[in-house]
Amino acid sequence: MTHDPDEDVLQKLGALAPGEDEQPRTAAAWRTFQTRRDRSAEQPLTWRFSAMLKRRVVVTVGLLLLIVAAFSLPPVRAAASDFLGLFRVQKFAPISVSPEQVALLDQIAEQGLHPGSLIMTDEPGESQTVASIADAEALLGFRPRQIPALGEPTTIEVQSGGSGRLIVDLEQLRAIMGTAGVDPMLLPDSLEGAEINAVLHPGTVLTWADGTTLMQTRSPELDYPDDVDPVVIGEALLQALGMSDDEARRLSRAIDWNNTLVLPVPANLASFSEVVVHGTTGLALSSVEGYGNAILWQSGDYLYLLTGDGSIEELLALADRME
Amino acid sequence: MLALTDSRLLARVQTGDDRAFALLFQRHYDRVYGILFRLVGTRAEAEDLAQEVFLRLYQQRFSRRREHNVGAWLYRVATNQGYNALRSRQRRWRRETALLPDATDAEPAPAEAAAQAETRAAVRAALARLPKRDVQLLLLRQIGLSYAELADVCGVAPGSVGTLLRRASDAFRRAYEREER
Repeated sequence: MTHDPDEDVLQKLGALAPGEDEQPRTAAAWRTFQTRRDRSAEQPLTWRFSAMLKRRVVVTVGLLLLIVAAFSLPPVRAAASDFLGLFRVQKFAPISVSPEQVALLDQIAEQGLHPGSLIMTDEPGESQTVASIADAEALLGFRPRQIPALGEPTTIEVQSGGSGRLIVDLEQLRAIMGTAGVDPMLLPDSLEGAEINAVLHPGTVLTWADGTTLMQTRSPELDYPDDVDPVVIGEALLQALGMSDDEARRLSRAIDWNNTLVLPVPANLASFSEVVVHGTTGLALSSVEGYGNAILWQSGDYLYLLTGDGSIEELLALADRME
Repeated sequence: MLALTDSRLLARVQTGDDRAFALLFQRHYDRVYGILFRLVGTRAEAEDLAQEVFLRLYQQRFSRRREHNVGAWLYRVATNQGYNALRSRQRRWRRETALLPDATDAEPAPAEAAAQAETRAAVRAALARLPKRDVQLLLLRQIGLSYAELADVCGVAPGSVGTLLRRASDAFRRAYEREER
């Protein structure tokens, strides 16, 4: 038995097909493509693993904003500063994400779709290179940890912090979720106009001659009201990362959403495993294409990301020798 | 090389074979353009978005597994690009006319073309009332994708495609009748 759309429907839809003077111009398009391709910034063949990780962190922060936005209350409550919850990273929950889902999430990010109006109360500045650890400390407000075994870093970069407020546009947020393949109605109506506050602290990246990098920053903080069920919102996030309804529901119930950083890991780019760093549970990431390894952990109020060409064991040994 | 599968061509692209990418482009451009044209309604915008779709494929050529279904990926990205373009337009237009082509791009039309434009407007307005997946299924089926391809592009179980198409078809018919009233 066929279930094809009826002929009348197909015929009507046929009206949208390109007319005689609207047919594809494939040869001309190919020439245009060649020009645009050559002009576009070419991603280097030796794509650095650390660059990928930095990008993932940005995506993760974006996803965090999405989920924390979903935790918020209507503006009347927010205006009363009735914030009961505070997100700080203490644990990591790596989620393997398919290349297709990554492409979809990237596309959402590239298209500039936002979950609402973002008002920066303190705009983060450009990253700046400083001459010494002392200079970095003066800007950061904390002394960056170093790895004496590697000698002096060849580059010390400091990124200033920033803060902002997000006012949720529920229609946009639902559109994003819909584009990511999630039932938009998982997000409650009470989110419309909700307001959240985010603080990103200054951070630093130390780079050594052998390519090893150490990023460190205090955990970002996100204030949100506490009376929306985070499990339901977390479920939406996990579905956006490509999980089935059942998987997302099960995992969302197991996660402590007040202190767990959900880290999407593209399955075609990296594998991950749990490791112990300085007595805490961290995350080891390995590029599947052999571009290097990384370990990510939290200690005190700080997050650390150590990347390099060495094995995970070698990176763990370096982490143990940090001072 | 013409007989090579998409996956084999992509593998060759990964080794720097530009002719292989040209073949992928030629093999899929018409459909990608066709999807986008049906969604956005103007040649200029459809051509521009099609370029973006292939640029994304080219930029991601090293991160895609060889066995990946290139066509399904392209059609899915094209659909999303088209929808994103429409969403941008929605910021300027009311929801009821979201799927209408941008008037600034429309060429002056004689009577026959005006009638065609009217029909297109009614179809687009009806589609604008449907969920994205229904629109995706209907348009892609109309341009000739198989059930298996539809399942890949839309991310639904192959066994569900027929039922979903039927529902989408019924929903479109109801929306179209509403437009005609």
